[in-house]
Amino acid sequence: MTAFYDGLADILEVPSATIASNLSLTDHNWDSLAIISCIALMDECFGILVSGSDLAKCTVVADLEALAPQTVSA
Amino acid sequence: MVQNRHPMGSASRMAKLRAVSSHLPEMTLTNHELARLFPSWPADKIEAKTGIVERRIAAPHETAADLATLAAQRLFNQHEIDPEQIDFLLFCTQTPDRRIPTGACSLHLRLGLRPECGALDISLACSGFVYGLALAKGLIESGLANTVLLLTADTYSKLIHPLDRSVRTLFGDAAAATLIEGVDAEQSSIGPFVFGTDGRGADRLCVPAGGARLPVSPSTADAMTDGAGNVRSAENLFMDGAAIMAFSLTEIPKAVARLAELSGIGLDEMDAFIFHQANAFLLEALRRKTDLPRSKFIVCMSHHGNTVSSSIPLALEGYLRERTSPASVMLVGFGAGLSWAATNVVLN
Repeated sequence: MTAFYDGLADILEVPSATIASNLSLTDHNWDSLAIISCIALMDECFGILVSGSDLAKCTVVADLEALAPQTVSA
Repeated sequence: MVQNRHPMGSASRMAKLRAVSSHLPEMTLTNHELARLFPSWPADKIEAKTGIVERRIAAPHETAADLATLAAQRLFNQHEIDPEQIDFLLFCTQTPDRRIPTGACSLHLRLGLRPECGALDISLACSGFVYGLALAKGLIESGLANTVLLLTADTYSKLIHPLDRSVRTLFGDAAAATLIEGVDAEQSSIGPFVFGTDGRGADRLCVPAGGARLPVSPSTADAMTDGAGNVRSAENLFMDGAAIMAFSLTEIPKAVARLAELSGIGLDEMDAFIFHQANAFLLEALRRKTDLPRSKFIVCMSHHGNTVSSSIPLALEGYLRERTSPASVMLVGFGAGLSWAATNVVLN
């Protein structure tokens, strides 16, 4: 998950150490560009393609964490 | 540099990419101008994410056919090409002057091509250049033509709502002219080809109104603001960036692998890779997924943006100018349709 958190920190424009499950996405540039970036990041880190609409519904980092394993198991 | 390993046999007429020239309109749209319109996206962020510093924008009176004419005239002048030599004109655009007649016929007149020269339009977006090469190769190697002029030109800026940052930050206007000619050779220097189409994604990158299905009307001109704050009407270009990213990450690595398999040439044997210059972020994601070396992966869009059907020939023109020896180059186009195509060209 380290690579994912580092990548997410880049996308949200925050230090890596700031990434935590309860970190708000909507307070940190969670716009269409960030969502597109996150699609590529999750593909690279987990080998899964998450839809933009699913990512748009996420409000905190925990939502992304939950999305990855669920999609993998699906 | 490696030779394409198909088709083998005795010498016959084979297609060869001889030269590329381009034309960019004069007007620019910089990141600073965009940042003034979209304050939440500062100029440095636009550059960091898109790899684009400025886009070239056609003047209000300037059309894709105008840009294509200038690109072709530049090709003739730079490479001492006599227009009389050309026996087929292919014009790839999605922003034609008129719905009827075919734009290639008007360009045929403007360029002074001979009456026996065939001319037709191709309506494809960012995959159009590779499809155009496939058609040129087919015409030449089947004996229907010997010298094909492939023109690509688009003015997407005229389709974009000024307040839609999702596309206005990316697209620029441009044209390119490419000459493909028949030479006596044992091996083809263009091909093989991989094609792909997925019409399920048609509405992910489109202009909904203006065709027969949804003619323009007062209601199609009504601009709306979407959830991300972008403004557009049904007469404007719409792009679902997330869907295009997912499509690209799914299909393009497969197409690259299939082309390598079909050609019998390992990716490590290629000298360069020119993908459609969509934006720097998407290109980097594709480069990483296809595991291609950065040193061979051409990125060329910073001062003209995503120029749709002309993005590959613009990058190829720069590569041709700078290379010092023969080279094998993979070209990969992908975009609206959804449509994609890939091929290898050997540049001597």
